[in-house]
Amino acid sequence: MNFLTRLLQPSKVAYAHCDGPCGVYDPASARIAAEAVLSMEKKLAALGDGQDLASQNTRSRFIAIKEQQAELAKKELDILWHDYFKPEHLEKYPDLHATFWQAAKLCSKNKTESDPANGEALLAAIEKIHGMFWATKSRDVAFYRAG
Amino acid sequence: MAGEDERQPQWLAGLALAAVTLEAAGAILWLAWRFRRYEVAGSSMCPTFMPGDFVVVDRKAFARRKPHPGEVVLAPDPREPSRTVLKRIARIDLHGGLWLEGDNPDESTDSRSYGWVRPDALLGRVVGRYWPLRR
Repeated sequence: MNFLTRLLQPSKVAYAHCDGPCGVYDPASARIAAEAVLSMEKKLAALGDGQDLASQNTRSRFIAIKEQQAELAKKELDILWHDYFKPEHLEKYPDLHATFWQAAKLCSKNKTESDPANGEALLAAIEKIHGMFWATKSRDVAFYRAG
Repeated sequence: MAGEDERQPQWLAGLALAAVTLEAAGAILWLAWRFRRYEVAGSSMCPTFMPGDFVVVDRKAFARRKPHPGEVVLAPDPREPSRTVLKRIARIDLHGGLWLEGDNPDESTDSRSYGWVRPDALLGRVVGRYWPLRR
C-alpha cells in the first residue's frame, strides 16, 4: 500500500489551510486590557495619597493590576502586529509599524507612570489600530468602550 | 508486377498505425496537461477533503464557462500568490468576484481574511478525490 501511495503521490500541494490554530484576531482584547489600565489610573488618582495601611494596600493592588493589564495590552498588540498584519497591509498603511511602535511604547509608559492621560493616549492608539484592522477585512466595525 | 500491388497497402497501413499512435499519444499528453494532481494540506475543507487526500484538478474547467457557487476550486493565495489554496466558492458578486470559504470555517483562512478573489485568478476546479479510494 505504501508503494502504491508513493506512486500516486502528486507533486503539487493545494492548501486547505488555516493561518493559526484558530485565525481569530480582534483588537478588542487589547482595548479591554487598555481600559483596565485607564480604570486603575483613575482609581489611583481618586485614592489620593493617603498613607494609612488600607490606602497603601489598595494602592498596591491598583498598581499591580495596572502593570499586569498594560503588559497584557502590549502582548495583544504584538499578536496583531506580528501574526495578523501582512506586508500588503503595510503597503496600504505605511505608518503601520510606527503606529504599533508608539502603542507599545505607550503600554510601557502606562506601566512606569499612573497618569490617566497615558491610558487615554493608549486607547486612542488602539482605536487607530482598530480602524486599520477592520479596514483590511473590509468591515465597518464601530469602536466602543466597555467602561 | 504482383509484388508492387501488395506493398502499397502495407505502407498505407503503417502510416495509419503511426497516425493513430500519434493521436493517442497526443490525447494522453493533452489529458495530462489539462488534469493535474494535487495533495491536500490542511483541514479547512474537512470533511469534504482531508489532509493527505490526493485530488484531480481540471485546469480548463473555466475556459468556456463561469464558475458557479458551490464549486471547489484552486486559487492563488491573494496574500502569497505562490501558494495555492483549495476552497469552495461561497458566493459570487455582481462583477463576478468570488468569495471563497473552507467547508470547515473554524479552521479556515479564506475570503473572510483576504477578501474577494478575481475569477480570472482561478487555477482550476477540483474534480474529485482519487486517493484514498475509500474513507
